[in-house]
Amino acid sequence: MKLIKLISWQYARTHKLRSLLTMAGIVLGVAVFVGMHTANQSVMAAFSKTVNRIAGATQLQITAGEAGFDEEVLERVQAAPGVRVAVPVIEAVVNLNLRSQSNILILAVDLTGDRSLRDYTLEEGDDTVIEDPLVFIAQPDSLMATREFASANQLAINSKITLDAMDGPRTFTVRGIMQSSGLTSAFGGNLAIMDVYAAQKVFGRGRKFDRIDLAVNEGEPVAAVQARLGQMLGPGFEVDPPSARGKQFEALSSVYGAMANLTSMFALFIGMFIIYNSFAIAVTQRRSEIGILRALGASRGQIQTLFLAESALLGLAGAAAGVLFGLLIARGISASLGEFLGEIYGVAQRADEIASDPKLLLGALAMGVVTSLIAAWIPARGAAQVDPVRALQKGRYQILSAGENRVRRITAFALLGVVVFCLFFTQNRIAFYGGYFLTVIAGLLLVPTAAAWLSKALRPLMKTLAPVEGTLAADSLIQSPRRTSGAVSALALSISLVIALGGMARASYDAINEWMRVAFNPDMFLTATQNITDRSFRFPVSFADAVREAPGVRVVQLVRNGRLQYNGGPVMFVAVEIAKLERESFLPAVEGDSSTMYKRAAAGEGFILSDNFAQLYNVHLGNPLTLNTPNGALTLPVVGVVRDYSDQKGTVLMDRAVFIKNWNDDSINIVRLYLQRGVTVEATRQWLEQRFAGKTRFFIFTNRDLKAYVTKITDQWFGLTYIQLFVAVLVAVLGIINTLTVSITDRRRELGVLQAVGALRNQVRRTIWLEAIAIGVVGLLIGFLFGVVALYYTIEMSARDFAGLRLEYTYPWGMSAALWPVILGAALLAALAPAEQAVRGSLVESLEYE
Amino acid sequence: MVALDTVDLRIDKGEMVSLVGPSGSGKSTLLNLIGGLDRPSSGDVEVDGARLAGISDDELTRIRRDKIGFIFQFFNLLPTLSCLENVSLPLHLRGWPAAKIADRAKELLTLVKLDKRMEHLPDELSGGERQRVAIARALSVYPPILLADEPTGNLDSSTGAEILDLLRDVHQSLNATVLIVTHDRGVAEACPRRIALKDGLVVKDERG
Repeated sequence: MKLIKLISWQYARTHKLRSLLTMAGIVLGVAVFVGMHTANQSVMAAFSKTVNRIAGATQLQITAGEAGFDEEVLERVQAAPGVRVAVPVIEAVVNLNLRSQSNILILAVDLTGDRSLRDYTLEEGDDTVIEDPLVFIAQPDSLMATREFASANQLAINSKITLDAMDGPRTFTVRGIMQSSGLTSAFGGNLAIMDVYAAQKVFGRGRKFDRIDLAVNEGEPVAAVQARLGQMLGPGFEVDPPSARGKQFEALSSVYGAMANLTSMFALFIGMFIIYNSFAIAVTQRRSEIGILRALGASRGQIQTLFLAESALLGLAGAAAGVLFGLLIARGISASLGEFLGEIYGVAQRADEIASDPKLLLGALAMGVVTSLIAAWIPARGAAQVDPVRALQKGRYQILSAGENRVRRITAFALLGVVVFCLFFTQNRIAFYGGYFLTVIAGLLLVPTAAAWLSKALRPLMKTLAPVEGTLAADSLIQSPRRTSGAVSALALSISLVIALGGMARASYDAINEWMRVAFNPDMFLTATQNITDRSFRFPVSFADAVREAPGVRVVQLVRNGRLQYNGGPVMFVAVEIAKLERESFLPAVEGDSSTMYKRAAAGEGFILSDNFAQLYNVHLGNPLTLNTPNGALTLPVVGVVRDYSDQKGTVLMDRAVFIKNWNDDSINIVRLYLQRGVTVEATRQWLEQRFAGKTRFFIFTNRDLKAYVTKITDQWFGLTYIQLFVAVLVAVLGIINTLTVSITDRRRELGVLQAVGALRNQVRRTIWLEAIAIGVVGLLIGFLFGVVALYYTIEMSARDFAGLRLEYTYPWGMSAALWPVILGAALLAALAPAEQAVRGSLVESLEYE
Repeated sequence: MVALDTVDLRIDKGEMVSLVGPSGSGKSTLLNLIGGLDRPSSGDVEVDGARLAGISDDELTRIRRDKIGFIFQFFNLLPTLSCLENVSLPLHLRGWPAAKIADRAKELLTLVKLDKRMEHLPDELSGGERQRVAIARALSVYPPILLADEPTGNLDSSTGAEILDLLRDVHQSLNATVLIVTHDRGVAEACPRRIALKDGLVVKDERG
């Protein structure tokens, strides 16, 4: 500790800017980690909180995916042994177009039994409504709102609210305002209670419920009742405690969580190079100090410990700052993230509070310290090996010895040999990820050599462009590979990430566009909700019959989609008239014969899987696939696999008849309309609006609207991934600033001479700018090369472990071209402050600087 | 701390002057002020009709670039540049055309007898050779004034004598004004005018 105070602290104090820049890498990495995860956890926590508060005294909940189930199930559950109370529930999030413009969660219950599970104490209103539930039920236009929602929308007792129900607008009356309690704080307080039988009509549920909430008899083990009910109802039903819903949502959005991990890991990884670079430079610059310490009796171990302790403290300080920034980031993004995840996954929630998990924060601190220690390990070992006699002599130490470089090259090529070997066994997860890791290590080991070669190659060009400034800038890079290789590595890694993500985004856009061209070719889409991923409302089948009457409509396709559980994971099902699908929007089979696939699926003889379902669950052509339905397990063979991008978790396509038969549900989410030639969308829209206005709730999307919507969601998704690019570029820019700050210290005398022999300030600035640009050019070239490999692995990772998407390998040339001005501009920006530092200060001192 | 105090000095065009004095007497500071590397806290310096007080850094650099050649004790050559590139450096900074630069740099390296070493790096030269390169660089832009700070301080006596001869040749052939800061009595005596400093004051100024 004494050494740290005497030596390290003094060094940090005199090199404040560099210490801050070194820390910045950790700050960013930890901030991104904490920010993205805390925001994600806040959304999850808000969802779980809503679930728990709504659950009240509920011990078990029964669901059948999103399909719902018939009323008779309730009777069977109520009669089951061990069940004290079981009540039906319908839950939906709707926008009432009220003053606050907030979505509201409608909880529709049967008040006759529900009061034993939930507390509905009113602060205002007619208590008789609640005292005698029959009064509430007898007035099916009753609604109870929370105080929060009522205040925000200036509602009072007997206020009227109009709700677009499936059978047209309905006016509800606020009959009670609930006292603040656990229940009323669910969904940010935006909650209203409605009668469940009224809700069936409003939301188009027919004679179905979404869920049954129940409590068991006193003294009865909950697990025993759960097992008994599971057995009684069969595999098509999930019987779980309320907390399981939170886990399901977590599983649903796991791709987002994985991406958050990837982003922060990458930021930390790049940050590691900045620390490595700073420590390597510090060891070089402090070699005489190390020599003196060694001459005074410090052991190698003490020197190594000194540097490691420095890095640990730096890491801790950086991580602490990162945690604070991360919490601020989370505060800023959690609400919009909640909305975004809601749009993607169709599960609405509100994240108004930040849920900071102490374990996550402690983990982030530990991560910062460990990253810093790993990064400083090699320089610290180098410091311990400094020869005191050599250290006390003046001389250049920046040049990597030929031997050292050769060892790096040999190691790199040996590792690449192992990588090639791993490529033959990519089915094995360890071989695949091990191969990726070793490729990165081998690439990094080759960076100093490649950077030196490229700098030498650039020298003539730079000399031609600016004889003095260009030559000196190139020479600075050539002479100091230790100094530049860290910054070049960080930059190259960032660029490779940009290429990998850019390439994946390009390939995804291409694939999604091609899919949309075929799958979204109807002229119009009619939906029951404003948002196509939301399935709160459903059309009765009679709606489709009425739509068929529209003049000029050539084909009407009925679609019912939703989520169900498969192998413990949430997947999407799409029930559609397969024969019409084959005729109108033919998606070719990527596994199996297209014609047979459509024929068999249309006959109800099998399922068609999306490519990502097949990849994620390893179910392929000919394999049997079992789905749990309210009528029991349904096993059919996979008759084909198609490229379908409906859902990140995979999609099962089945014929509508199969769904109706096994799920007892003939409702519809989406009606796809194909118009006859010459019939305009506008004319059909007018006809539909006249026909259904005031009678049925519906929304019209044109072909262009829907494609724009999907493109918007895709943009938002990739917009999220572009955070990675921003972070990566920012960290790389910090690396360049760090390197240049050290460079101008190292070259202080050289720059002084330059000014002494007549260089104007701008000429000195130019040499620093050119050095930054040269680092940028070298980083770009190496990064593009890394990118070729990173793109391959990213596409493979996406196919194997994230979304199961098989994408074409397309190198993003356009993005590579766009990166030139971005990175060189950023490099130039990074060079501004160091260049100013270079031209300020005493010339006499510079000339005497050693 | 006062490095120079009440120094009132005039050096005429074409003079060759030595500045002597013990360490800390202010001779290097005086040289730096004349060369525009440093600025006085008060007073003024006039070089070839140009007053240095109050002018901008870039104006000062232009005066340095056009009127002054520097020779340093530790040569201050740029280690990554060849002899030819080091000598060409000030010419490039003045924006001379490339062909003219090469001709001039070769001419100067021939003048300092290094025509066989043009492509060598400074590390590959002896101390005397490095100082010759530094002198060639200082002469590259035909400066009317040459300032040398201990030009022989880092050389053995015979090499030092060679460098002194070279400076005298330059002085005579180019009619340049030469000011040499030195600890070496021999170098000082070789100059027609000798100025001695002590504690920041001129204590002796003799000619002949």
